[in-house]
Amino acid sequence: MKFLDKNTIKLDKELNELDKITIGFTARLNKAKIKYTIISGYVAVVFGRNRASEDVDIFIEKIDGRKFSDLWKELEKEFEYINSEDREEVFNDFLKAGSAVRFARKDRFIPNIEVKFPKTEIDVWGIKNRKKLILNNSEMFINPLESQIPFKLFLGSEKDIEDAKYLYNIFKDNLNMDLLEQFSRNLNIEASFRKYVK
Amino acid sequence: MKAPKVDLKELEKIKEENFRDRLKFIDMYSRWIKKNPDKKWSSQQKDIID
Repeated sequence: MKFLDKNTIKLDKELNELDKITIGFTARLNKAKIKYTIISGYVAVVFGRNRASEDVDIFIEKIDGRKFSDLWKELEKEFEYINSEDREEVFNDFLKAGSAVRFARKDRFIPNIEVKFPKTEIDVWGIKNRKKLILNNSEMFINPLESQIPFKLFLGSEKDIEDAKYLYNIFKDNLNMDLLEQFSRNLNIEASFRKYVK
Repeated sequence: MKAPKVDLKELEKIKEENFRDRLKFIDMYSRWIKKNPDKKWSSQQKDIID
């Protein structure tokens, strides 16, 4: 893996099932011109962390029902919403109401893609400042590691702390340390950063 | 049959030690990842994840 510039990482790897479903899903988001950022566990897994994950978490920019309808038409070529086939219900009762919606490949349950609208300033910041990942020849966007690592520590389970340490170890020479420290202060995780990560 | 006594402090200590061991393993593993080509580690990762 290498940084092509400060906003773009290139990675050529042998793809696992989680990589393949993420490439398939983000290609549809890219085609629909919807801004998104991949957050949480998959960001560690795509760069080599060895652990299973049943889902990939994605924030998408807030879109209206019409644009969601376009996205739905694109997604249903390959995916289905796990709990309903009613597009309006998915949009109004789940996504717009602040809940996550999960898409899986047809007739599958896992792995699946969990999609949410951003709720907090940190979520919106993540979409705005997302980084491009070129995975083999596919483009996708991930949350900046300077927020991802402190946020994992904020979540605080052993799995999250391990993810944070792994990402820090892999990318420490390329991180904006000032930004990382700002997020650490704002999330009040400086002590666990010193204790477990550094 | 009677269950043995549980020393919760001792178990918490062991849990923390095990966690520290896993963090040390992550240090070793991330050094290995950085030294090896992406295709090599990802092939092994694929075996685990799939």
